Amino acid sequence: MLRPATHRLSSLVATLAILMAPVCIAKADGLDGFVVQDPQYGEVLFHFYQQDQFTALTHLVTARSQHRVEHHQDDAELLQGGLLLSWGQHEEAGKIFERLLNTTNDVSVRNRTWFYLAKVRYQRGHLDEAQQAFENITAPLPPELEAERYNLQARLFIDSGRFADAVALLNNWKGDETWTAYANYNTGVALVRMGQLESGAALLDRVGTMSADDEEMRSLRDQANVALGFSYLQAQLEGDAKPVLQRVRLNGPFSNKALLGVGWADSAGKQYRSALGAWLELSRRDLLDSAVQESLLAVPYAYAQLGADPMAAENYARALDIYSAQLARLDNALVDANNGKLINHLIDKEPDSTGGWYWQLDRVPDDERTRYLYFAIADHAFHEGLKSYRDLAALNKHLTDWRIKLSAYRNMLATRELAYAERLPVMEESLAQFDLPAMQAQQEQNVQRTAEARANRDVVAVAPAAEQKQWQRLAAMEHSASWSDEGTAELQDKQRILKGVLLWNMDKEFRVRLWRQEKANQELAKDLQQAADQFAEIEQATAALPGTISGFDNRINELESNIDTLQARLSVAMVEYSQYLSDLATKELVAQRERVRTYRAQARFALAAVYDRMAAQNR
Amino acid sequence: MKLKAKIRSLFLVLLLGLTAQAALADSATELAALDQESQALKKSVLELNRDLFVLEEELLYPSNTQVAVFVSMDVGEYFALDSVELSVDGKNVSNYLYTERELKALLRGGVQQLYVGNLKVGEHELVAVFTGQGPHERDYRRGATLVINKNIGSKYVELKISDREKQLQPEFVVREWE
Repeated sequence: MLRPATHRLSSLVATLAILMAPVCIAKADGLDGFVVQDPQYGEVLFHFYQQDQFTALTHLVTARSQHRVEHHQDDAELLQGGLLLSWGQHEEAGKIFERLLNTTNDVSVRNRTWFYLAKVRYQRGHLDEAQQAFENITAPLPPELEAERYNLQARLFIDSGRFADAVALLNNWKGDETWTAYANYNTGVALVRMGQLESGAALLDRVGTMSADDEEMRSLRDQANVALGFSYLQAQLEGDAKPVLQRVRLNGPFSNKALLGVGWADSAGKQYRSALGAWLELSRRDLLDSAVQESLLAVPYAYAQLGADPMAAENYARALDIYSAQLARLDNALVDANNGKLINHLIDKEPDSTGGWYWQLDRVPDDERTRYLYFAIADHAFHEGLKSYRDLAALNKHLTDWRIKLSAYRNMLATRELAYAERLPVMEESLAQFDLPAMQAQQEQNVQRTAEARANRDVVAVAPAAEQKQWQRLAAMEHSASWSDEGTAELQDKQRILKGVLLWNMDKEFRVRLWRQEKANQELAKDLQQAADQFAEIEQATAALPGTISGFDNRINELESNIDTLQARLSVAMVEYSQYLSDLATKELVAQRERVRTYRAQARFALAAVYDRMAAQNR
Repeated sequence: MKLKAKIRSLFLVLLLGLTAQAALADSATELAALDQESQALKKSVLELNRDLFVLEEELLYPSNTQVAVFVSMDVGEYFALDSVELSVDGKNVSNYLYTERELKALLRGGVQQLYVGNLKVGEHELVAVFTGQGPHERDYRRGATLVINKNIGSKYVELKISDREKQLQPEFVVREWE
């Protein structure tokens, strides 16, 4: 679609420009089919695909700062740029795209980056630079981006006054149905603006008769019919205009203009009765629409043409009353606008979320006070201002939510600190029960004894305690005072046999027992080392915890301070936006007042003329 | 009033809108100035937001105990995921029901962070069960058990619902990241 031009335009162009309010299509980014190699990048895409773009952006920025999307560096940077661009961060997005072009050799990434850069430049009004960026795209983009690219470039040509280039670009392009419809519409309008009504009409007629499955397409179809109908009217082809305008839905957003046009087409063919039908229907509709305001004059005009002067007089008088009442309401609205009440009423509503991208206010506000801002809201600058205000309000709320969280985290840290203070003495007491150095010394002795047993084949040293005890008792007998007494020969024989058996057994088991003992020594050494490590970890952790807690505390303090500073700046900016919007609203209301005053003056003159004519007839 | 004059009047009405817009050209300059400040503010908020996220994660899920479980899909578009249930060491930690929007995001390649928590160093058992509906309204309920060895450092586990291995038979494929 075309943006309303800001330079001076012919009346036809002006009409078409108004009919062609910009319609944005939020399409996918052509990122499907990625093989995710970092789960955090996939998580960003999960939010991005759900159009939760603020979450996607914040998670992406965080993940990149933590080096968690290293396998997707170029794509991540491109995605960040695209998300920033959607969020109105043209400057940051532009920096990212230019940096990316200097660092990546991936042709696919480079082409997509040139596309986004062209978009940034176009949105900032740098048309020549945008065109240069388009020319750097060397291969087709992913399908959705490719379609958007063609339409954007066509809009660029049209905005630059290069209608022929726009037509040439779009003439043979085939995209999906939606994009083709937009392309045909843009091309048709460009042709009409070039004075090639016949060629342009063919394309507009194609859009105007297409089947439409959704509201967006139905609306575009109506818009094409209105544009074509008024083009015919301007070319004084009223007979062609009427059937085209009659294709517009009676309950759609363009029905008022269509009804007005149908009336004028009939009127041109002197079919005033028929014209009256369309205008009377129109005159019963919402007076905020300029077409409805106009119909209040058109109805008595038709009556007058039919020779029904009393009806004409009555309807002119009715128009005068309505215009006067509306002027009074506009005066009140102006007072409200000057006091800032009108805007505050409009923007005081709770911001939905930080996803301000998709916030729209396309419908007429419901309440009486803000209804008069309908035209202001339709204005690009007002709409952008309002969107930015709500974005800032949502960010302000977002920061308030963080402040609440930080407060909870501070409490959590305080609890941790308290628990630390309570548990530390208990833990120290518990640890003091273990004499780790003594245990380690004991273990070293064991190792040494086992080594000596191996070296000396000391079978007793590795024998179980019971056997060692038996061995000692048998050995002790040899040293008793009565050992050499008479009559002990039998006893000595028994002792010698038992000692021999015991030694035999111990010797037989020596290798197994030695292996077991050495294994037990190793396991004990390992356990003692683990215990020593754990002691060290506990000591380290208990020593570091106060520092960790105070480190977090300091960071929380710093972040809270940053939140304060930013919220103060946000508040100032919101006040400035509010003032700006109030000024715009005031200007729009003044313009509306002037328009209604003009209608009222016309109605007065026409009424006087009808009265004069009636008086002359009565004479 | 002649018809031609009337049509001119019609265009006048429409033009008045434009005249008003032309009068707002100054406002566009003012908007540009406000936009500069708005962009600077958004940039600052974004940076602050990043710092807040990092702090939150370090505080709640320190890297030496952090475990995150992700869900992804690699299935034909006719498989409709209803829910995923996750237990860690016998304790249920997540019962997630998917919206159509989330399902579409998964089918397009998005990865959902189903769970993030803290686990001690050592072995832990994860049990995941998904339910959903495949072609011909056939209901599916499949589970997977995984023993993970948690070391020092973050642990990421991806539960991919895939029908690549068995045609039209969605199964969990588990992948671990350190």
